[in-house]
Formats: sequence, C-alpha cells, structure tokens
Amino acid sequence: MNLAAGFAFTCPFKTNSGNRALEHLPVELSDLNAFKPLIITSLDLVGKKAIRTLTNAFGDSGMTLGVFDDVTNTADLNIVEQIKDIFTKGQYDSIIALGGDVVVDVAKVVNLAVSLKVTDARQLSGETAIRNPLGSFVVVPTAAVTGMETSKYAFLNRKPFISIQLMPNLVILDTRLTRAKDGKIMAEAGLAAFCRALEAYIAPDKNPFMDAYAFAALRFIRENLITAVKNSSDKKAALAVANAAAMSGCAVSNTGRGVLNRLGQVFQDMVHVHPGVIMGMCLTPVLDDYMKKDSRLISVLLYPLTTDDEYAATPEAKRADGAQNALRKFLDELYGALGSKMPRNLKDAGIPPYLMDDIFEVISREPDGDYLCTVIERAGKSPLKA
Amino acid sequence: MILPDYYEFCCRVKIVAGHDALEKIPDLLADMGAKKPLIITDKGVAAAGLITIVSQALQGRVAASLIADNVPPDSDLKVVNQLAQLYQNNACDSIIAVGGGSVMDTAKGVNIVVSENATDLMAFSGAGALKRHLKPLVAVPTTAGTGSEVTLVAVIKDHDKHLKMIFTSYFLLPSVSVLDSRMTMTMPPFITAMTGMDALSHAMEGYYCIQKNPLSDTHSLAAVKMICKYLPIVAKNPSDKDGRLAMSVAACLAGISFSNSMVGMVHNLGHATGAVCGVPHGICMAILLPYGLEYNMHKCEEAIAELLLPMAGEEIYLKTPKDQRAQKVVSLIRQMNEDLNSITGGRHARFFSEVKDRDGKQMVPRDVLPQIAKAALMDGATIYNPEDSDYEDNLMVLEAAWEGKPFDRNKMKKG
Repeated sequence: MNLAAGFAFTCPFKTNSGNRALEHLPVELSDLNAFKPLIITSLDLVGKKAIRTLTNAFGDSGMTLGVFDDVTNTADLNIVEQIKDIFTKGQYDSIIALGGDVVVDVAKVVNLAVSLKVTDARQLSGETAIRNPLGSFVVVPTAAVTGMETSKYAFLNRKPFISIQLMPNLVILDTRLTRAKDGKIMAEAGLAAFCRALEAYIAPDKNPFMDAYAFAALRFIRENLITAVKNSSDKKAALAVANAAAMSGCAVSNTGRGVLNRLGQVFQDMVHVHPGVIMGMCLTPVLDDYMKKDSRLISVLLYPLTTDDEYAATPEAKRADGAQNALRKFLDELYGALGSKMPRNLKDAGIPPYLMDDIFEVISREPDGDYLCTVIERAGKSPLKA
Repeated sequence: MILPDYYEFCCRVKIVAGHDALEKIPDLLADMGAKKPLIITDKGVAAAGLITIVSQALQGRVAASLIADNVPPDSDLKVVNQLAQLYQNNACDSIIAVGGGSVMDTAKGVNIVVSENATDLMAFSGAGALKRHLKPLVAVPTTAGTGSEVTLVAVIKDHDKHLKMIFTSYFLLPSVSVLDSRMTMTMPPFITAMTGMDALSHAMEGYYCIQKNPLSDTHSLAAVKMICKYLPIVAKNPSDKDGRLAMSVAACLAGISFSNSMVGMVHNLGHATGAVCGVPHGICMAILLPYGLEYNMHKCEEAIAELLLPMAGEEIYLKTPKDQRAQKVVSLIRQMNEDLNSITGGRHARFFSEVKDRDGKQMVPRDVLPQIAKAALMDGATIYNPEDSDYEDNLMVLEAAWEGKPFDRNKMKKG
C-alpha cells in the first residue's frame, strides 16, 4: 500500500446489523431529523412479508409512513417522476429503499430528484451536478441484492448516475430480511460482493480505510457463503453475506471500477442477468491474467482468503499459488453446492447469441474493450469445473 | 471474522491523507460550498509553525484566512462563545480546526453555536440534541493519537459554573479529516511515543471491548500493524515523512475503531489518573495498556491472541504456541514501552512511579492510588469493559502499574 501518493476515503453510511435491527429505524430516522419517510419498494420483487416486517418495525413510533411498492425490473425515469410527485405532494422528508438492485437504484434517483427539487425528473442525467448532501436516505436490503445498493452508483435504464452523495446515510441489515429460500439468490449476491471486494483489495489505489471494508467482506464471504447457500435457515451466515454485500458497496465507491465489476454491469444492463453470475464466471480468467502480470497482486489475497494460521505458515513465495488454490477450492465447493441452479458459462446462462453480439459491441467500446472481450470469450468456453 | 448478534458502526467523516493533503483543503471547502474558513488552533500549534504551513497551503485559494489561536489546553465555554462571535462578525462559512483534542472540542462547540445560532450551548448538550448538518468543519490533527478528528463527542467546560458539558451527535463529526505528514513532523520523540501508545490503546481496546464488530475489528487490525511498525521508527527519526503519515493514518483508523466499539479499563483508569494527578493521557495509556489486556484476558484471550499477527508479523506469530499468543501480545507491549523509554532517554515512563512533572517531581505518589481507584468507578468507560471491575480490582491493577510488575491474575475476582 503506497500511502505517500495520498488518498481520499469516505463512507457516508452507518450500518446497523443483526436481530431486530429494523426496530432501531425510528430512532435512527429521528437522529437524521426525519419523521415522515416514504418507503420505496416492489411488491413483486420484494414481497408482502418483507414490506410488513418493515412497516411493523415502526410500531408506536408515531411516524407517518408512505409506501410505494410498484417498482418494476424495467423501471426508468418515468417512475422516478411518478414517485417524486408522490413524495412532494405527501410532504415526505426521507426515503427508505426496501429491497435490492433496481429498487434501490430508483430510490437513489428519486432522492436526487426531490433533493434538487427538479421540476421534471425525466430531465435528470449522469451529468446533473450534485454538490450538497441530498435528503435522508436509508437502504434496507433484502437477500436479493447486488452489493451496489450501498455504493455511489445508480443505473437506470442503462443510464449511470455517479456521486458519493447518492450513497445512503444508513443501511439496516435485519436477519428477518437477509435470508433467502433459494441458494442461488444468496450465491449471486455473495459472488458479486466477493468479486468487487476482491478487485478493491488488489486495486493499485487501495488505502487502509477501504481495505478495512474489503477485507471484512472477503473474509465474511469465504467463511459464510457456502453455508448460507447450503442451509437457507442459517440466519447468521445469511446476515454475514448481507454484511459483505453492504461493505463491498463502500469499497467499490472508493476505487476505480474493476474489470469484473464493469462486465457484471454490462450484462445486467443489457440482458438482466445478475452481475454475480457473470462476475463468478469471469473471476478465474481475470485472476489468471493478474497472476501472469504480477503474482504479488494475487499473493496478498491469501490473507483474507484463508485463516491467520494458514496465511502465516505460507512462505511469501508460495502465497500467490496458495491464494489461487484457496479460491479454486472455494468456487468448486460453491458451484458444487448449487448444482445446475447456477450457470457456469455463458451458454448455460441462456443468453441468446444475437444478444451476445450486442454485448460484445458495448464491451468493445470500453477503453480496454479488446481485453474485456477475451475475458468473456474465455468465460464462455471454459465452464468452471465443479 | 466475528459477527455479533447486533452491532452498529458509523464513521461518516471523509478522510484525506498524504504528504500534501493540506493543499486539498480549498477544493474540499469549495465542494461544500464554503470559501471563508475560520482557523481555530492553540498557541503551541501556532508556535510550532504549523499554522504557517496551513496558511501557505490555503494561500490565494480561500478568502483571507482568519486565525484564532487562543484555545486553552482545557476547553472553555467563554472561548467557544468568543470564537463564535468572531466567526459571525467576519461572515465566515466554515471552520478549520488545527490541533489536538481541546482544539477539536472547541471547534465543535463553535460549530454548534454558529450553525444553530445558539445563545445557550447547554440546550444542545447530551445525546441527540442536534438535528441537522452543521457548518463544514475540517479537522487537521497535529498529533497522531487521540483520534478526535473522527469522533462525535465534544466536551466543553463552563469554568464559572464548574460544569462539564458533553455533546454527542453524528452531526458533530467533522466533515473532513485532513491527515498531512507535515503536521506531526515536529513532534518531539517523547510526545510521539505517548500519543502513539494512545493510538495503540484505542486500536487494542477497540478490539476486545464489548461493542466490537467486524468493521471496528478490521480498523483495529490495520492500526495495530501500522503502529507497531512505524511508532519506533518515528520516535527514533522524527523527520521520517512516510512513517509520520502512516502513524497519522493508523491513529485515525484506531479512532474510528474505538469510537464504535468503545474503550474499557485502560481508558477508565487512565481518565481517573489524569483527573486525580494530571498525568498526560498518552502516558496513562502506555502504562495501563498491558494491564487492561491482562485483566480481561480470561474473557477475551482469543481476541487478544489475534492481535499478535498484525503486531509482530508471521515469524513470531508462528513461533508462539497458540495458548501463549495473548500473553505474548502483552509482553510485546511492555517491550515497546521499554524501547520507547530508551529511545526518549527515559522520558517515556514505563510505570506510574516513574512519571515525573517538569520539575522532576513524582506525579503519582503511591498513596493516591486508592483515590484513583475510587474515581475510576465514576467513569463511563467501565460500561464497555468485558470484565466488571470494582474498587479492589482497580487498586490491584493500579498498584501493579505503579510498580511496573505484571498483574497477578490469580488475585482478581472473575465475574
């Protein structure tokens, strides 16, 4: 880590995690000077039960709640405009996003619209200047997340919005919401968080503050993801994965966007495949390339990917191999546990060839597009062995 | 990685660090819509030439800086009100606090007054009385130790009414902390040593106190590693730029850890020793740290043992049998104190009987130990210590720390 070059770090969100964490929400909101929150969620994507758990947590707090539960997978700025109107007319003073992925992206842009008091939210774009802090914004993730919920990024209809101000003030991880019946949902979230944290951990511009988040995220995933996938009733393992996802959003907001992160995003935007699926497939080829380029980048990964004892016992020269082995073992076991549920290559992911052409076109427009295309090609052809 | 059943973690302060981090302040202020800062500091900081460095870094890029250097060593309500007046009379729009704990406290107090147009600061004391963002506050620490650049507490004393007002709010967190190696470069070795040990006590107590959580843990581990590597280096060679920057970063990491997981016996007895005998906080921390670990060892041996790897590196970690790792951490801290004692030509005290004031007079006479043990019972840090301490235990620990003998763990009551 080169401190001498100088760095900046910021994590604007507080984390409340654990049993009945949601019950702290009224107090946390009033600490943010918010008393009338609008909940933005999706009945279809998040479900009635989760929404009820959240609203019940307000108990006798005396707060008035609004609920907008109609966010869809294909949401765009029109829905932002619609929610902005509800927010303004209802005189709400804060936003709670319940769910993951698109639900939170919509909520971030709604927060932008209501904080900047724009007349028409459909005019918002990635170029919109954001200088001052936005209104109070809470994210309550469910199990079906991408890890980008806590990040400075929002993507709506392929339009990126990027600002530290878009990050939430508070993220609440509640054991009642972070479990998933389906191991695949857990694996997608975990892999996305894992890959982003990993890219942050080996980023050339990393700093000790961001490292604290990336390290914790990597260890949590390595120690808990497989358990959470295999045993859907393990509350603690699921909560650890949710923690890792939230931490990865902070890490990714404090560094450039890595190869895996960008590839995951392209597939998500273009074909609505969870970024964790794509990042998981591309992880091995990308790490192989790092290994060829500079094995020291990989050797630092042994520390988060193994125990203190094993790390300490591995001589420096063997750490890169050790990290690769640890990773391979982890992925084999994870994909093994998921069986046919989790696609191992692009063909199994069911992406039609004609759409792949479009994807290649978008990817090749990136500055390192040629390289990214080779990653996709390798991920497409060589299925990960289980 | 331990995941508690429930935890909270928060540090909303933006951190900017580097050898030329001060030069970033004008842009940071502009990002927050501010351009006319009031610089708050104390005479010692100004005399060390640090304000000159800050002013040069700002020159021509913010409106002529207004400098107030009259913060007393102990925060004072009168000074807070006077500086708030100065801020308002000159239409300032932000604060740059350059200094240690008292300067940070004062700046936070001024920020409450000017942001809330408060006439009575008392109305905002306690927890959660502040309800909105205050004016931009840039914290520039001049020691690598207290971590007060990332804490949400301010203590302001009303000397007329003999009142100590405590303010706690996330809105009191500085907007930005600027860690610049030039700000600590002139610190003499013995201050470097004690402030560094203060930071180590934050990192270590943060790792075993009851509100520890995964994020406070990773902040602590990183801080321990950096402090143990760089503190001896900068104590020996004060102008080691990279070492200075690393220590500032480490102290900040440690500050973030302990302000989330809280601190325990080391701080509890340290506050009391400071209050009764006027011993500088960092000295108390250096002396008491090994005892805090020993006292809590039966409850947190595993956590303490985990500190050995960042502290001593792989070789020593591997050589030390698992059941001796926690004890090894304790003995390495004692060794650090020994080394710092020799680097500083004896000025870094290793035990309380060695602490002397400027005139060479012993600061902690043995017969005041009961008074310290009693005063410690009133201190808030008792709540977060893993083991419940009482008067007898406090006294036993203090006596051992006075003599410089390891604590006899067989004598304590384990609850």
